[in-house]
Amino acid sequence: MISAFYFFVFLSLIPSSFGDLAESLPWHKKVPENQNDLRIIQSHLQTLLPACEKAVVAIEVNDGAGSGVIISEDGLVLTAAHVIGKSGRKLSVRLADGTKASAVSLGGSEISDAGMIKITGPGPWPYTKIAPSGSTSIGDWCFALGHPGGFDKKRGIIVRVGRVIAQKDETMQTDSRLLGGDSGGPLFDFDGNVIAIHSRISRAPDENYHVPVDSFHANWDFFKNQKLLTLDDLVKGGFLGLSCEEYEASGLLVTKIVEETPAEKSGLLKDDILLSLNGEKLDTREELTILVSSMNAGDLIVLEYLRNGKLLSSKIKLGNRPK
Amino acid sequence: MKSLISTLAPLFFSLFCKGEIEQNTSKSLEPQFRLNGKTTQHAFGKAAAIANESTVRLERNGKVIALGAIVDSRGYILTKASSCVGARQAVASDGQSYDIRIRKREEKLDLAIYEMISSNRTFPTVKWNEGQTKKFPAWVLASSIDLSEIRVGVSSGTPRKIGREGGVMGVLLGADGKRNGGIRIAEVVPQAAAYKAGLQNNDVIVKIDGRKVVLRDQVIKLVSNKDPGDLIRVEVERKSKTLTFGVTLGHRSVTFDLFNRNLQMSGPVSKRKDNFPQVLQHDLPLPKEGMGGPVFDLDGGCVGINIARIDRVTIYSLPGELVNRALINLIPEE
Repeated sequence: MISAFYFFVFLSLIPSSFGDLAESLPWHKKVPENQNDLRIIQSHLQTLLPACEKAVVAIEVNDGAGSGVIISEDGLVLTAAHVIGKSGRKLSVRLADGTKASAVSLGGSEISDAGMIKITGPGPWPYTKIAPSGSTSIGDWCFALGHPGGFDKKRGIIVRVGRVIAQKDETMQTDSRLLGGDSGGPLFDFDGNVIAIHSRISRAPDENYHVPVDSFHANWDFFKNQKLLTLDDLVKGGFLGLSCEEYEASGLLVTKIVEETPAEKSGLLKDDILLSLNGEKLDTREELTILVSSMNAGDLIVLEYLRNGKLLSSKIKLGNRPK
Repeated sequence: MKSLISTLAPLFFSLFCKGEIEQNTSKSLEPQFRLNGKTTQHAFGKAAAIANESTVRLERNGKVIALGAIVDSRGYILTKASSCVGARQAVASDGQSYDIRIRKREEKLDLAIYEMISSNRTFPTVKWNEGQTKKFPAWVLASSIDLSEIRVGVSSGTPRKIGREGGVMGVLLGADGKRNGGIRIAEVVPQAAAYKAGLQNNDVIVKIDGRKVVLRDQVIKLVSNKDPGDLIRVEVERKSKTLTFGVTLGHRSVTFDLFNRNLQMSGPVSKRKDNFPQVLQHDLPLPKEGMGGPVFDLDGGCVGINIARIDRVTIYSLPGELVNRALINLIPEE
């Protein structure tokens, strides 16, 4: 009897002590509290780095140099749209150890600056995992890898630690420090998953911009198989006439309806939450833009949305973007 | 010198600025919790205090020109020599100001020793951390310019030798000049060495230091074998007249800043950033005037001296082992 009692006490202790353990990981705290927390972060990063580093590539296109990260054994690489410039381009990539491989640019989007390339040589290539959509919050610790200033074999890949300082729609901002040449390189979380791709630097050296992996997840097949979407393409495609922002886990909150546009004529209102277009679930703002602009004026779409908690649906004829 | 530029300048995708994400406080991380925020700095505890008290700032006419490390309790300061020309005062983190005098320079490492004039024999000195196997990334920290805060970052990349860059005239060369009997200057970089010496666009370089030149590579080689600050004699033909100019060579990085977007986005960088036998690299956010000071590990051990600000993500430090070996010959025994 007594031993059974102790057994239960012991069992009941396990969940709570697990909970404490998880909370005491220093990168889950609001801020590291002391040198010991920082020491744990340091050794954690040293453990993560070798595997993450192996998947980083330097990308050479014409006169430019950028970075990228391999995310599959057969050599699919995530990078920035402005690194590849256009689809179907022959490029050369270099692994951390200097190994060179040929690659070709696939697609992407200039809206978010997401781009994909494929290494053409036979694999298997070292690769790294990417985080699922919606897994990053403001305040999360992260580290940037890349080739600032271009590939330098003697120097190697450079690490910049920071935190996610803001995130909105197709952009994430961190205080990891970046330079030209880092473009397209990966931002990792402290589980060693890619959470974003470096895009642009800000005048302030500690407020740089990244493409969240959500943009890739939402448009995976489009980026992989279609031509890179340029900002010019948007002018030519179909037009709806609303502004929106990403809303909680999924859906898009309408923030503005433009007068005299298909959106207004269809009766859509500010604060409606858009859920799907032609049956395609809407997770990111960019996805809506890509879907609409890939159609033409006059095409019919079916839009599902929530208004005051009620599920509604409208058939809308797309128009031309006003000049 | 066009080839120099093409290897320097356009290698990088420019990352243009983009409008800020609305940084209203509710939707962005409060500055105090960021990597270099006050609350984060607080976690560095004792190491932060050590960094502040063993660092001094060096001033000329009341302006900070460099930081320095107190390396001897008698008040000897180690700093970056080329940053400190004309340094008059050293100010410690307690606000005390001391007159200083230079004791020794080590040109190869760009280091100098200054002495604070004081009867104090118990200045707080840096404690070197050398010989530990270095794993990366590793936290590093250093005192801020005003010695009231610290700056934090990580060191990464392979410790390595940084080769010599050589001097430059600051001209873009035309094609090889068999026809002209020399090499035409396609463009003189404004404010650079050649410009100041009086060279002009379309001058044809025929001799350098008395040696005939007809190929671009000859010019590049003769010039880059010299160091910044060296004087060369350049003979040119201008409108069928032969003229000779003395050109005091400049630093390549400074001369060609104009052409390098990465440097334009980086703010002022150190003039000398080449020719070091070994450096550690880190990303501490320190300005050019923050060079010369000590950089510390998480335990407050001094791992090196910041020797050059390269760009907005890169500072080179001379590692502790190297500096320590040099110190033996730099500090007077008494």
